[in-house]
Amino acid sequence: MDRTGIVLVGAGFIADAHCGAIDADPRAELVGIVDADPGRAAAFARKQGGIRYETDLDTALAWPGADAVILCTPNDTHAPIGLRVAAAGKHLLVEKPLATTLTDARALAEAFEATGRVLVAAHTHRFYDYGRAVKQTIDSGAIGRPQLVRLAILGGWIWPDWSAWVGDPVRSGGHALHNGVHLLDLATWWLGGEPTAIFARGRKQTAAELRIYDYLEMVVTYADGATAVCEMSRAHRPGSLAQRELLVAGTAGIVEQGWDGESALVFGEAGTATLPAAGGNGFAAQLGAWLDAIGGAPPAMPVADAVRAVALGVAVEESIATGRPVAVTA
Amino acid sequence: MTRVALVGNGGIGTQDHQTAMYEPAFRRHPAFEIVDNPDDAEVWSIAAPLAERGKTIAEAIRSGRHVLADKPLAATVAEAQEIERLAAEHGVVVVPAHHQRLGGALRSAIAAVRGGRVGLPWNVQCDFLVAGGDPAPGGELVNFGLYPVDVLHALLGLEVRRVHATGSPALVTLLLDHDHGVTSTVVCGRLPVLRDVPPGGPAVHRYRISGSHGVLAVDATKPALSVRGTSFTGPVWTGPGTVDALLDVLAAGIATGRAAVGPSDAVRAQRVIEAAQRSMETGQPVETGE
Repeated sequence: MDRTGIVLVGAGFIADAHCGAIDADPRAELVGIVDADPGRAAAFARKQGGIRYETDLDTALAWPGADAVILCTPNDTHAPIGLRVAAAGKHLLVEKPLATTLTDARALAEAFEATGRVLVAAHTHRFYDYGRAVKQTIDSGAIGRPQLVRLAILGGWIWPDWSAWVGDPVRSGGHALHNGVHLLDLATWWLGGEPTAIFARGRKQTAAELRIYDYLEMVVTYADGATAVCEMSRAHRPGSLAQRELLVAGTAGIVEQGWDGESALVFGEAGTATLPAAGGNGFAAQLGAWLDAIGGAPPAMPVADAVRAVALGVAVEESIATGRPVAVTA
Repeated sequence: MTRVALVGNGGIGTQDHQTAMYEPAFRRHPAFEIVDNPDDAEVWSIAAPLAERGKTIAEAIRSGRHVLADKPLAATVAEAQEIERLAAEHGVVVVPAHHQRLGGALRSAIAAVRGGRVGLPWNVQCDFLVAGGDPAPGGELVNFGLYPVDVLHALLGLEVRRVHATGSPALVTLLLDHDHGVTSTVVCGRLPVLRDVPPGGPAVHRYRISGSHGVLAVDATKPALSVRGTSFTGPVWTGPGTVDALLDVLAAGIATGRAAVGPSDAVRAQRVIEAAQRSMETGQPVETGE
């Protein structure tokens, strides 16, 4: 079997999840790691059994057996690095968001379209068990035509200190681009409609001095009259009690999963916490779908959907800034 | 015992809450007895069609009678304000049927939030979704919207300053801005018929109150048993019903001259509903003017 050689770019915490996915798929092989910090690159390489490491992307793209890249760098670098990957003729799985601006997202889409290589943005929730189960339930017709999505992913502060790049809206694009796109894409995928407008509200709950909104409420209106109410929070306390809640209402029924739909509850001396059930590996499923697409299958996460997610995220940030609904143009 | 006359059997669309809700609740309540002649009654239970309701309530007030009024109290803010003024002028108690806030889970939640159990609340999310039953002509915003809006005020004690509404006549989403930067969101409306949910019964009725020091998740369909059998699966409500609790409010109001639910609550809720209607028409957020 010809294995797809993958170069990881960016040795941050999410790279471990992608490494695990690569390890689990016999069609993939981790060729090496690139990180701007040579020490971090070397440490990551050692942890992976002594794979190659490099600080220069172009050098790594020329490594023998390098067919594809998984890009895990800060969001504002996705477009410039992605364009270099496209120019090198490699496939790309890029962490979400595809880019921090719609112009950059479109440029990436066009570059990969021109090369014929497969570009996928890591909207991993499409590949989580719950995401797929809801989609399958809707597609089965069990609830009729979906008209409403309620989706909340709530948790506490998970980022580092004030130096975290996520907290810099220039680097991350803001929380709507960084995490909000997960929900915006998932709800839109479930509904199967065309978003027409967004009204959003944001809150700096953890600290007034934050430069991003750690709580987002994003309400999307669709051309067919459907509505999606999406909440994304890193502001909830206690942070130990992560919650995910979903409700999809259709013309013939509803599908819902409460905060305890996938988690047990631990009452302990250290407090109360949810204990998520063991299940499928969303990152592995995502990687598998990308490899399938490289092999010629239809992409499970089309580039147009990733561009649309960026458009939605940008519209969220604009709506919060203006206090007004924003028309969506993907 | 306080004598009650049942006045009107109409509502919005095909509603007859008088027969379905108020009459049986009055019959089982120890403080009230039902009489046939309205002239002999101290209280009128008014469930006239919405177009006539305000006029009927005003007639009752002017004749010195206390009123239990089906919801909404009036068709417009102006009409509700006039009822509020009249009730104060004549010294009678007018209780609009804002009974959802009186459910056992919500009464505890209101006390907890107002008592600081989650710190300073900064957001509330609510779903008020009914399954089956007859759709309200003109949409469910006017029919159901006031219930969660009323509960929100009871939970937060904060006025609504701005409303943005989106959705459809059957299923509307309200985004409300309160004082102190507090926000809330309400999804309310009617779902299709769902198995084991009685027509017009609550399919989802819940609140999540996020505060500076905690979160309170309230399932307002409780307290209830969960019953599973060969022919029925679903909840069975335990404890007093919300309409029974509303009559407790009415009885206490008559005894003390001040009811815990009154016309000012109806004015406040109606103001939000009308702002939501304007928002639906324009596609823009609307200031309530409160």
